Amino acid sequence: MKMTLRVRLLGTIIGAVVLFFLVSVIATRVVLQRDLFNLGKSEVTNGAGAFGGYWSSHRDLIKVLVSQDAASSALLKAVQSHDTSQLQDQLANIARTSNLSFLTVVDANGKVLARANGMQPGSLAKESIVARALTGETVSTAAILTGKELTAEGLALQAQMAIVDSSGATIGNSTDGLALVAAAPMSDSADRTIGAVYGGVLLNHAYDIVDQSTKALGGKTAILQGDVIISSNIKAKDGTREVDREVKPAKSVVASGTPYTGTERIGAITYIAHIDPILNDQSKVVGALWYGIPRAQITGIIAHTTNTLLFWGLLAMILALFLAIPIVERLSKHLATRSKQVRSAAKELGVVIVGSEVSGDHVAQTKSTIEKSGAIIADLAKAGDPSGKLAQLKSLNDEALGDVIVIDTLSQEMSSRMKQAVDRVSELNEVAGGLNELVTGEQS
Amino acid sequence: MADIVLFFASNADTMIATKALKDAGVTAKMIPRPAGVATEANLCLSIDASVESPAKNALSGAGINLGGVSR
Repeated sequence: MKMTLRVRLLGTIIGAVVLFFLVSVIATRVVLQRDLFNLGKSEVTNGAGAFGGYWSSHRDLIKVLVSQDAASSALLKAVQSHDTSQLQDQLANIARTSNLSFLTVVDANGKVLARANGMQPGSLAKESIVARALTGETVSTAAILTGKELTAEGLALQAQMAIVDSSGATIGNSTDGLALVAAAPMSDSADRTIGAVYGGVLLNHAYDIVDQSTKALGGKTAILQGDVIISSNIKAKDGTREVDREVKPAKSVVASGTPYTGTERIGAITYIAHIDPILNDQSKVVGALWYGIPRAQITGIIAHTTNTLLFWGLLAMILALFLAIPIVERLSKHLATRSKQVRSAAKELGVVIVGSEVSGDHVAQTKSTIEKSGAIIADLAKAGDPSGKLAQLKSLNDEALGDVIVIDTLSQEMSSRMKQAVDRVSELNEVAGGLNELVTGEQS
Repeated sequence: MADIVLFFASNADTMIATKALKDAGVTAKMIPRPAGVATEANLCLSIDASVESPAKNALSGAGINLGGVSR
């Protein structure tokens, strides 16, 4: 079954609008996906830069705190008097008020005099940061503290972790920890180094830095020891913080020291993330800073834009149909009327043709009759025409014959024209049929 | 006055000429082609010789080519 003109026209309009919007939506999605993803990368790179700055300022703050402690007259007095009990109390107070995880004082030989977290004898002379402080240098850096060092500072439990991979399977254990540490020399009134203060913040399972930075920067942040998250505000599937988890892209960052930007699925969420290496004061990579934003922020914009386009597209299509339907209807009606007119004219012409043919036949018969009548008059005239009436009758008959010959000739002439008209009428009928089929979809 | 015969190149021209003369008020009678008239048309027009000039004007005005006049 053929479609009517209105169905074809409306179908074409709908098809054109749908095609237009499909192409628009696809093109918009592709462009938005590319541009917004690039924008997202740029955003996380900038956010990571700010997070790095936050990290640096925190490291500097620890340096300042430890330096102030090293210059504290109360601590100096306690060191000079070898009053370890008082020293320990002071260190504990300072560490608590300064939010330091540990604070330790050593003498000029590196021997531990007191620790904020309780007296653990030992020597830090071989600890490079402390050794440098005992030479008069104030040092601050990120550092990996071994399990033994952490045990001595009473922080072993905080650092312990069972490491899992992205699937949640345990892949190892660690007792080491990542810390921001600082060490500063203590000098007496004669400017002789009499010891050093060594302190810092253990970052494993400590969330101040990541929470404060996220509050300021937005997004999500994490601190990695090597390629393992040790502190973060990324939500795990169970709603807790995502920690003690391996981050695959961080492996290459730690190995090469080159930042990474890309997508990373952690927990139930996929992030656009940027990972910067954490270097210690010897430019060795000890960990990484992770900053990310949920990719849904980007995909949400794309979905919203797509839905908006589709909504307005649908609205435009309905509007176009409202405008198009009366136009198509009027056009169809107009064509249908013209088709009927052509049909009617063709029918009338058909009658004229038939009438012409019939009258032509009749004229031919009349001509034949008059010719026969003329022949009879001629025969009668041969027998004699004493009254002269036959001569008058012959004259009238000849005149009538002349008229009939004229009419017959005209009729033949018209007949020839009519044959052409028959062809034209046939063509007109075809045109009318075509128009009707176009408008109604029905063959006639 | 005697009749004259106007003839044309074809029967169709003769027919059109008849209508043109009728519209111009010239009386013309369509007749079969007389024996002495040389034309391919089978029909000619017979008019009164006195209206020859108005007939020719009417034909010229209607753009019809006159094949000739037989007297």
